[in-house]
Amino acid sequence: MSQWLSEVIAEGQRQTDWLAGHRQQATEALANIKWPVRRQEAWRFTPLLPVEKRSVSLAAAVEQHGSAPVIDGLDAYSVSFAGNKLAAQQGSVPAGLTFTLFSNANTEQQATIKALLSQVKPSHHLFGQVNDALMTEGVYIHVPANTVIDTPIRLSQLAASVGDQHLRVLVHVESGAKVAIIEDGFGDADSLNTFVSEYVLDAQAQLEHYRFAMYTQQAMHVGSCHFKVGEKAQLTSNIVGYGSVLSRLDVDVEYTGEFANANVNAIYLLAEGELFDLHSTIEHAVPNCTTEENARGIVGDRAKAVFNGRIHIHRNAQKTLAELNNRNLLLSRRAIINTKPELEIYADDVRCAHGATVAEIEEKALYYLLTRGISRSQALIMLNFGFIQELITQIPNIAISDWLLHSLRERFVSMEVK
Amino acid sequence: MLSINNLHASVEEKQIIKGLNLDIKPGEVHAIMGPNGAGKSTLGYVLSGRDGYEVNDGSATLNGKDLLELEVEERAREGLFLAFQYPVEIPGVSNMEFLKESVNAMREHRGEEPLTAAEFLKKAKAACKQVHLPLDFLKRGVNEGFSGGEKKRNEIMQMILLEPSLCILDESDSGLDVDALQVVADGVNSQRDGKRSFIVVTHYQRLLDYIKPDFVHILADGKIVKSGDASLALEVEKSGYAFLGKAYEESEA
Repeated sequence: MSQWLSEVIAEGQRQTDWLAGHRQQATEALANIKWPVRRQEAWRFTPLLPVEKRSVSLAAAVEQHGSAPVIDGLDAYSVSFAGNKLAAQQGSVPAGLTFTLFSNANTEQQATIKALLSQVKPSHHLFGQVNDALMTEGVYIHVPANTVIDTPIRLSQLAASVGDQHLRVLVHVESGAKVAIIEDGFGDADSLNTFVSEYVLDAQAQLEHYRFAMYTQQAMHVGSCHFKVGEKAQLTSNIVGYGSVLSRLDVDVEYTGEFANANVNAIYLLAEGELFDLHSTIEHAVPNCTTEENARGIVGDRAKAVFNGRIHIHRNAQKTLAELNNRNLLLSRRAIINTKPELEIYADDVRCAHGATVAEIEEKALYYLLTRGISRSQALIMLNFGFIQELITQIPNIAISDWLLHSLRERFVSMEVK
Repeated sequence: MLSINNLHASVEEKQIIKGLNLDIKPGEVHAIMGPNGAGKSTLGYVLSGRDGYEVNDGSATLNGKDLLELEVEERAREGLFLAFQYPVEIPGVSNMEFLKESVNAMREHRGEEPLTAAEFLKKAKAACKQVHLPLDFLKRGVNEGFSGGEKKRNEIMQMILLEPSLCILDESDSGLDVDALQVVADGVNSQRDGKRSFIVVTHYQRLLDYIKPDFVHILADGKIVKSGDASLALEVEKSGYAFLGKAYEESEA
């Protein structure tokens, strides 16, 4: 066990709030786990050394933190957190849903939250357990049956230098309801941030989900999103990852009802020396569900991307349609991608496909465009940004799509080809 | 217009251009012929600034500007155009997007407003027609799946759209049948306006029947070893490069 984990357990045990029972379960589990080493598949390519030597630092309030970037034209209810406390909010809670901060929950809401917590998140996630033990702020969103919410909700985590953050999000979208939720994280300060969200989609619910892990430099991030998708429910999830000394995102989708579908698009764009690790697991536990997952990334000099996409089709999950595709572009000989699409199929009447490709910059094509007067940055975008742009333009929210296109282009142009 | 003095250039430390001199005035057409390996294509790459083509000595100026100090795209914006012998295929980038970006990059350099999509489309359609390419070529990936002749015509179409001051045609005739050759030559001739200059690199005199050169140079072993008028090309056609003697034998070896 690492020094850091012992501190996590001690800190979790010290908390005496209404979540103490939940924390205790987690600390007990954590006391019995083996600290991941690189032999362990889940952490094979992403060493946890930067975490091992840390001290747990939970500051009640932090003064210095950035703010979430403005997304022009996005009309959302936006809430941001720093040091586990509400840092800013904008807009108002959309009519028709309830939005509860854990710190403000009344006894009745506390009971609801306690009943929902960790019901979606699989217990094997080490940092999920850490979040269970240490969370000091969270959000519970409840969308009642058949309610269509037009205003998206944006939840931002701001990395700050004196406080680690362990933010929790719980969302229950009841049958026939529809909502859009954006989760994002920013900052470069030396800190450890976990951000765990759990979603329950009842029958015919529709969720438009975004997760942008835009932590950079010294801001460590280990986050996860977990979904239970009910009958005929629809999930679209758009993920964007930048890299830092350690940035890892786990995505779990489990179908709990038939004829549901999930569309997961992930983009990672890693500048020099960054690390980003995306693990996804799709559990086809019931028949007749459809998954389409596309992960596409550009990896800069000395940067490393890890992609592990697992689709598990259970014995009874007949008529499953599942496609998983991962494409990568390396900007340098020293850029690394460890990609592993995994299909595990136990049913015999399914249609599945998976694939991964890795490419490098085409020097000849670049030269050709330059000889026609096109600038180097524009040429690189034309040649190499298309496959990422394709995913961005599919995003249903125009304001988010425009903002991403601009931000990612800018980041890409600033990256050097070596 | 273009002035090359004592140019020396190497590729992977192999000396290819060994003291080349060439002066081209506005409106002139210069043909460069020569045996394989003489450095004909290298000259185009060196002048355009391709990576890996290192200039070891000498100078090259275009309209008074030091070409060798400029980046590839800056040379293009200063009016240098290279029509490739083997244009690269770029799937995923449409010909239309590519042409629009390049035309507008040139316009921006000249301080002109970028063309709107409609304005550009009109120009592109006319150019397409001029080189006998069907309009759906604009929608396809750059050179993607084009035949050899279509690629060459696409090069000429770009030349027409970009309005350069110096055009280097690198074996634009290779692999073309007579009809396609006529189209390419017509495209080039339509751009001869008394100011625009051309370097026509070719193996065969045939192209020069269609594009009449003012001067013909023989490039051998990295240098221009003989210059003359159009009759020199006919001489080469008749008796080959044997008259080059020693230099020719060395380059063949």
